[in-house]
Amino acid sequence: MFESLNRRQVLAGLMASPLLASGPALAFERTENGNVIVFGGNQAIPVLDPHVRYDWSTRMVQQAVYDALFKYEDDPAEIKPWLAESWESSPDGKVWTFKLVDGVKFHNGDPLDAEAVRYSFERGLKLNKGVAWMLKEFLAPEDITVVDARTVRFELKAPYAPFMSVLPWWYIVNPKEVQANEKDGDYGQAWLTDHAAGSGPFILGRWEPNVLYELKSVADYWKGWPNAERRPAGIIYRLIAEPAAKKAALQRGEVDIVETLTSDDYMLLSRAPGIVVESHPGSTTFGIKFNTQVGPTADINLRKAIAYAMDYDALIAVYNGAATLETSPFPGALRGHIDIPDMPRRDVAKAKEYLAKSAYPDGNITLKYIYMNGLEEARRIGLVLLDNLKELNITLELVAETWPNMVALGSRVETAPNMTSVYTTPITNDPDAVAYQYHPKSWGQYYAMHYYDNKEVAQMIDEARAEMDWDKRAALYAKIQTQIVADQPEVFGMLENRRWALRDYVKGFRFSPVRLASEIDLYQLYIDA
Amino acid sequence: MLSFVARKLIALVATLFGVAVLTFIITNIAPGDPARLIAGPNATPDMVETIRTEYGLDKGLLEQFTIYMSDLAHGDLGRSMVSTRPVLDELLRYAPATIELVLVAMVIGILLGVPLGVLSAVYRNGPIDHVTRIFSMSGVALPAFWLGILLQLWFAVDLGWLPVSGRLPLVATPPPTITGMFLLDSLISGQFDLFWTALKYIILPAFVLSMPCVASILRVNRAEMIEVLQSDHIVAARAHGISALRVVGVYALKNAMLPTLAMIGLRFGWMLGTTVVVETVFDWPGLGLYAVSSALSSDFKPVMGVTLFIGFLFIVTNLLVDLAYAWIDPRLRKA
Repeated sequence: MFESLNRRQVLAGLMASPLLASGPALAFERTENGNVIVFGGNQAIPVLDPHVRYDWSTRMVQQAVYDALFKYEDDPAEIKPWLAESWESSPDGKVWTFKLVDGVKFHNGDPLDAEAVRYSFERGLKLNKGVAWMLKEFLAPEDITVVDARTVRFELKAPYAPFMSVLPWWYIVNPKEVQANEKDGDYGQAWLTDHAAGSGPFILGRWEPNVLYELKSVADYWKGWPNAERRPAGIIYRLIAEPAAKKAALQRGEVDIVETLTSDDYMLLSRAPGIVVESHPGSTTFGIKFNTQVGPTADINLRKAIAYAMDYDALIAVYNGAATLETSPFPGALRGHIDIPDMPRRDVAKAKEYLAKSAYPDGNITLKYIYMNGLEEARRIGLVLLDNLKELNITLELVAETWPNMVALGSRVETAPNMTSVYTTPITNDPDAVAYQYHPKSWGQYYAMHYYDNKEVAQMIDEARAEMDWDKRAALYAKIQTQIVADQPEVFGMLENRRWALRDYVKGFRFSPVRLASEIDLYQLYIDA
Repeated sequence: MLSFVARKLIALVATLFGVAVLTFIITNIAPGDPARLIAGPNATPDMVETIRTEYGLDKGLLEQFTIYMSDLAHGDLGRSMVSTRPVLDELLRYAPATIELVLVAMVIGILLGVPLGVLSAVYRNGPIDHVTRIFSMSGVALPAFWLGILLQLWFAVDLGWLPVSGRLPLVATPPPTITGMFLLDSLISGQFDLFWTALKYIILPAFVLSMPCVASILRVNRAEMIEVLQSDHIVAARAHGISALRVVGVYALKNAMLPTLAMIGLRFGWMLGTTVVVETVFDWPGLGLYAVSSALSSDFKPVMGVTLFIGFLFIVTNLLVDLAYAWIDPRLRKA
């Protein structure tokens, strides 16, 4: 190959821009059993156990090998019955009864019955890890009862309106298989780290930590396939750390889907032949949390002044337009979201007015802005704010911290920084998922670095989670949203679009905003080429 | 000779102990609460406590240290909080990939560095010397991530000659694990196709990793050669009419090799500790990636494990270099 090149060809090769020549596309992997779709992502899956961990990559694979009573699909997110065929709740919202689909079997042939459901919830609660927080306050393991082989009943300690909304994240494991692999009473934790005992559309194939994770599709999946003839033989989730390498691998056809590229790369790829960019308004909010209790930002007028000084258009520009401004503390994908009419937007006169009313009428203070090391967008937003605050004679000091350090700083009100840029993703489509971030019980968590303290709001949040009537709940959440905006515990920023770049022969992609970060529903995908 | 090795071994244990103490202190004074991170963003305080108890983080620092050291004495490096696996198992899983990469980079470093060093010394201040000087300077100066991405773009995306990243194609089955190094394992099991494939995957990352190594070997070798070429015994050899090739290649090079060898040994240990950038760019699943991802999640035990492991290899390499010195230079054998 080297010999056949003449000097002119070499020069042409050197001059050709890497973007013009997208190189030979090798296309998806073909195996004896059919097509294999390759997903390139940067986050490993150290522990697959559905009751121990969840994050976007882990849950993407959990959703592929396990089933739950319900499943989130589509945009806006809908809770679809999955293992549950029918269900009912008592008027006071405390007793929930679920009837299971008949004849569902785990991958090893064991029947998926009410006992399996009971065991899975008990396991999740007793391990006290991962998903446990979603239910532990309302559900004790002994209050789950098997009525008959296909019926299971939950008795909650108190009415909990968002109950159904967390059920899609409680996956059902096969009790017999797990118990057979138990070691020293660990509930099979060691074994489930890199094995699965589920009933989902895929089973595990090769499992090479820090390299790739292979899923093989189950031909006779009990729920059937969205596109049975074109069902892929499998999916490989491959780890690629660097955005540049990810982009190169997609261009070369070594992978079929990638996530987390730079905004510029998404722009370029959307124009490249054979590549499609999926860009959807997500439900991950970006906010700059003030410390509302300690330091200058405890002063609400200063907080308002900063909120009005911020150039919100720049927030969108940082993402090349692939973002929308927040119109409430709740993302639009949440039930009960309302648009607050007077959300602060850049208004320097108003900012100065508020500053004059604050304890720092001449500015003359230095505030810290903390962002996560390596998050280029958060850094650029900090630079914009730095520039904006000069007009108020406020100096902004940008500090990059690693994620563990940021979490540690935010865990105590004394050390919580003046301002911290935080991305938060609600776990469900229920308004409680975001509202509770503004409840004093959330203090110490990274998303509650504002240490927001409004007794009325806290009371309304408690009331709303116990209220079973949706209209009454919605009214409460409208008030909650309005009051939080009035108190300005943070600069409400924007919702970044979730983006993926795909080869155009990958079909079936369906976005749902409740999925975390780059998580997608692998079950829907197939290849058409 | 035996007492020389024994002394070195005692020093090895003492150094490792020092490394263990230091890394324990450094990782523990670093802010960040690993239990909270592992428990997840929404975990309640008692869920965090569950993790803390499980990994013994609820005990005092001194007690944790005593437990760690006594486990260490029994060959137990503790458990990773991120993966919940024993650190030793993970080291053994990731180390071969890194060692393979460093060995190949070392071979490239020697094969390029030594001959180029000799050439630039022999043709001092000639065109060859200038070109190699530019080459070696850029080898040190070019950041590995930049060079790596650039080469990926040329050789993988534009020309399509080499794969972008990884160790093997996705659907290829790795050779049976003997050493864990794919090149070696595929040769041992007689899978020459697989060897060729693995070679294509390793060539770019190994080349990028070897660049600073080529440069330093080249410069040291050149400097030594220049000095040796001016010495009396070379002049004498020339006067005897021994062929130029033999004078340079045998009499001069052998004498110039001592410092070069020291440099090679140093570079080997140095590369083990710095593969991380190359491993990240090329998704080479080795120790560097493991160490960095562990450090980023405040997972202390793997960080300490990797540090100890690399420290161990570093010291062993230096020991081997010392022994090689004695082999090349008979005068040192008596010492």
